[in-house]
Amino acid sequence: MSNHLKYNYIIELSNVDTIYEGEKIPAIRDVNLKIKKGEFLCVIGPNGAGKTTLLETINGLLKHTRGKVNIFGKEIRKFGSSIRKEVGYVPQGFSVSSLMPFLVKDVILMGRFGKIGLFKSASDEDYLKAKEAVKLVEIDGLLKKPIGKLSGGQLQKVMVARALAKDPKILLLDEPFSSLDFKASAEISERISFLHEKKNLTTLMVIHNIPSIPKRCKRIVLINEGMVIQDGPVNEVLNSGSLKFAYKVRK
Amino acid sequence: MIILPYQIILTVVIGACLAGIACSLIGTFIVRMKLSSLGFCMSHAAFAGSALGLVLHINPLSMAILFSIAVALFLGPLVEKAKLHADVILGIMFSLMLSLGLIFLNFAPETAMSSTAMGILWGSILGMNTSDIINLTILTSLIIVLMILFSKEFKAIMFSRKMAEASGINTRPFYYLLLFLTGITVSLSLKLVGGLLVFALIVNPTSIVCQFSYNIKKIILFSPLCGIVCCLMGILLSFLFDFPVGSSIAIFSSIFFGIAVIFSPKRKRG
Ligand SMILES: Nc1ncnc2c1ncn2[C@@H]1O[C@H](COP(=O)(O)OP(=O)(O)OP(=O)(O)O)[C@@H](O)[C@H]1O
Ligand SMILES: [Mg+2]
Repeated sequence: MSNHLKYNYIIELSNVDTIYEGEKIPAIRDVNLKIKKGEFLCVIGPNGAGKTTLLETINGLLKHTRGKVNIFGKEIRKFGSSIRKEVGYVPQGFSVSSLMPFLVKDVILMGRFGKIGLFKSASDEDYLKAKEAVKLVEIDGLLKKPIGKLSGGQLQKVMVARALAKDPKILLLDEPFSSLDFKASAEISERISFLHEKKNLTTLMVIHNIPSIPKRCKRIVLINEGMVIQDGPVNEVLNSGSLKFAYKVRK
Repeated sequence: MIILPYQIILTVVIGACLAGIACSLIGTFIVRMKLSSLGFCMSHAAFAGSALGLVLHINPLSMAILFSIAVALFLGPLVEKAKLHADVILGIMFSLMLSLGLIFLNFAPETAMSSTAMGILWGSILGMNTSDIINLTILTSLIIVLMILFSKEFKAIMFSRKMAEASGINTRPFYYLLLFLTGITVSLSLKLVGGLLVFALIVNPTSIVCQFSYNIKKIILFSPLCGIVCCLMGILLSFLFDFPVGSSIAIFSSIFFGIAVIFSPKRKRG
């Protein structure tokens, strides 16, 4: 990413559809989303609404089938790998086989491997950044454990550390608190908010539990059946009828 | 037991060590990337190719490489996309390749059937010659160099291809590089180990080592050693009892695996 293009929006989706292979109906449909550098967004919506699909369309792990996805002002279709070097991703419910032969510290450092680039090995700086990420989510005690021997919550913290290790410009989190206890989720939420403030880190977080939406989040995107049905300031979205509609709450 | 000249024994031992290193190194990656069934198909394709080469009097080695890489190019995309029924297609392809190979061998000239053809099936300690050793040396060095050069990328992909991709690695070239190396490795090891069981030498050593460590560095380091042991012991067995080489390696490494499972610290409590 040597020549930084000028861009108005760090993430810009116009009329985007994503259809999974072998499917007919798009999992997300006609999505228009413009996000400025440094924004903190939460994405909400019922199960199967298309939240995960949206995040993976943004970082290009899923190929969109219509429209345009521009990240840092560049087309994800053309510059996928180089864009992903700057985008941290914490997947939803990530799990590994219990026999997976990697230690926690290996897995965290791996977050930087794309960024380090071909033919180079990890430098002091890479280890330092990985260490910082470890400190931030407080998993110092887990470093030498095999990755397959962690609890669900511990693994989730490791995946957050892995995403942060590369010092991303955009952070995509897919339900990062789903397996964390209330204390850990409050702490990690606070750390993410801290990073957002300190580094002006553009953050997109899929979250189910509306009360745990971090205070720094100023904007909510509500998705239902693959479409963005509300996009605006937190209170506006939460108090709108769309929320009840999406979750099919009567009265 | 047969008495063999020193020269031949040396060739066999060196060949076995090289094949052991190449197969088990490749195996470590194949197994971790869940490509075992694809590799299995590729080794049977190599067998079919080699058999056809024998019948048509074309260099069996190049035919083996051609066949296994063709299978990789055909099945690779299906497995890669985890397309529906990839398992079924792999199963069909494996039996197809095996039957083709057996049919080709039926057409092989009578004299060939006795030695070379059997060698392609079951492996032979007499199959190796100097040019095989040279080829295996080049291949083994190439594998080691590539694994070192791209160790970051391969490690990340072994952990999770999706997460490797998310970290900004373009994983496809590495996937096909691995399949390509697998095709050449099974083809070159064919003469020694035989087409039917060459896959034991790919899967078993790394699986044995995996019973003892969670550290990928150690696994990558010790799998080739284990591969050498399996290969040499297999040849010794074959030597002593006149078993086919492939079978001896498969039997020895399976017993070794069984023992490893029993003594694995991974299965102990306290
Ligand atoms: N691999 C896949 N192949 C086909 N369809 C898929 C696949 N993954 C998801 N879908 C479909 O796409 C739609 C959106 O799925 P997605 O995972 O984005 O939902 P989500 O909003 O993240 O749900 P959840 O809250 O349960 O995580 C769903 O209808 C789902 O059935
Ligand atoms: Mg989801």
